[in-house]
Amino acid sequence: MKLSLVGVGHKSAPAEVREALAVVAAERFYEELRRQGCDEAVVLSTCNRFELYLCGEAGGRDQSWAVSFLERLAGVKLEGHAYARRADAAVAHLFEVASGLDSLVVGETEILGQVKTAYETARRAGMTGKHSNVLFQRALYVGKKIRNDTAIAVGQTSVASVAVQLAESIFGELSAREVLILGAGQMAELAARHLLSKKVARLKVANRTWERGEALARRLKAEAVAWESFAEHLKGADVVIASTASERPVLTREIVAGALPARQGRSLFVIDIAMPRDVEDSVHGLEHVYLYRLEDLEGIVARNLESRGGEIERARALAREKAGEFCAWQRSAAEGREISLKHARRARGEKAVS
Amino acid sequence: MATHLQILLIRAALALYVASTACAFTYLFSKDEKWSRWMLWLMGAGLLLHLGSFGARIDAFWQIPENRYYMPINSFFGALSYLSLAVALVFFVVEREHRLGILGAFVLPWTVVGAGAAVLWADPKVEGLVPALQSYWMSVHPVVLMTAYAAFANAFGVGVALLIQEHQIKSRKPSELCYRLPSIEELDTLNYRIIVAAFPMLTVGIIMGGIWAYNAWGRFWGWDPKETWALITALIYAGYLHMRFLKGLRGRKAIYVSMVGFASVVFTFLGVNFLSQLHGYLSGGG
Repeated sequence: MKLSLVGVGHKSAPAEVREALAVVAAERFYEELRRQGCDEAVVLSTCNRFELYLCGEAGGRDQSWAVSFLERLAGVKLEGHAYARRADAAVAHLFEVASGLDSLVVGETEILGQVKTAYETARRAGMTGKHSNVLFQRALYVGKKIRNDTAIAVGQTSVASVAVQLAESIFGELSAREVLILGAGQMAELAARHLLSKKVARLKVANRTWERGEALARRLKAEAVAWESFAEHLKGADVVIASTASERPVLTREIVAGALPARQGRSLFVIDIAMPRDVEDSVHGLEHVYLYRLEDLEGIVARNLESRGGEIERARALAREKAGEFCAWQRSAAEGREISLKHARRARGEKAVS
Repeated sequence: MATHLQILLIRAALALYVASTACAFTYLFSKDEKWSRWMLWLMGAGLLLHLGSFGARIDAFWQIPENRYYMPINSFFGALSYLSLAVALVFFVVEREHRLGILGAFVLPWTVVGAGAAVLWADPKVEGLVPALQSYWMSVHPVVLMTAYAAFANAFGVGVALLIQEHQIKSRKPSELCYRLPSIEELDTLNYRIIVAAFPMLTVGIIMGGIWAYNAWGRFWGWDPKETWALITALIYAGYLHMRFLKGLRGRKAIYVSMVGFASVVFTFLGVNFLSQLHGYLSGGG
């Protein structure tokens, strides 16, 4: 099989170029490609990259053909922004992309879902064949395997997901827990959405301006409560997310200490993402209370990213090894003595020995 | 002959406990599930050999006519052997309920300590029971109490895990370990549940001792150091339950109280031997 790839990514092209390609629907590319006599191709389009994988006869064409094809459809110049790969190098590239090794945040898992969606869209459009089917299914398998076998995906890398993970280290299951949001800011909404994906039992929003608090509560399917009564709601809450625009701390040590007896020793996780601070730092000194400020969460994110570093090389080697296996299989299929992917590994192994 | 067999088997069991504990510690720092599985398999195998060793001890014990059919927990060796066996058994019960293999690192060292002390320092030989101990209470009173002790050892391990987890989260710089340990609330609940289960055993065991003492020595309670310390232990754990139950005291402070309780268990089991005439394994009183 002939395989070629042309793409632009967050490292090679500015956002405008990537956007121009991203706004064109995949179906539109497939329609045009078929008109040009190409019937096996997959378009992978995300906000950080755009890649066109061409298989079969079109995969053997000169890559400048593909570049000018994309330029025509997107209406931008790709010169100097695009990269091209062929055959084994294209396979290795796809495996690295699926593993999150080519992502802005290395090891992120979203890309795996995007590769899956891209492949399924192409298949539904009738643009895949035997080789591209095996190639993309293999890429999904390798992406999963590398995340399992190496530590590139260990540790959360966003402030909101670190906060959720900490909440789970305090409470375990979050499904019976209650969350109180102070303020109606964007960050509060983001953190609350992450917690909601874990399906907490109750979500309450208290905001100084009732209307804004109510609007956020409606968006989150939460309960709006009066600002004046937030100290009362502190007694039942397990997680408090503070992000008001207040100049002075709204959650003082006195208020939190006042709620503690009624809490009967249950843990209280307070997240302060407001600037200036919403929560007095001395609150952290209270028994059963854990206060994390934005910089604490950011510090954890930074350390998680750092610890991924060493694993990247190992993951890359694994991706290359898997690409080699796939290519061995591909050649065997082309020569008419197809071996299974498992055998491809053994065949390569034997060659290495002799 | 049977004595040789029990020594051989408990040594093999001890080796497996050591290996299992090593796996438990490796699992603490590696996310590879295979260490957790190895820990359980090795511990299970050790438990079987240990049961075999204890069976061989019973067999040897019953060769002496006046010992039939009482449990051989009268000596230091018998008590340590049974105690470590019970720690491993209780761990399996807890593990089956909660699937918290990570707790192995905090509980299993006690099996090594118990079986290790038996192998290294205790005399495995069996002797005839003195007439005062020839009673069916011999098969119940120490068994019930030592099972309670084993459960308290498990609760202690859970408490250590909780203190580490609490410290991790308070530090604001949690390490990888923080995400591997169970949550604070889970550990707190588990610690409580084990103590709630063990406390009635402790109480019943002490009362049984009183009844036996009345039958054997003609008094229910005599402030023998073992009796006194068992009572102190029971009072500490009663205090823990009271605070948890009525005062809602949880987390770190409650754990400290339960740990003092466990220290009292250890002293009752070990230290008192040097003080008590009636309960001394070492003084030969039975």
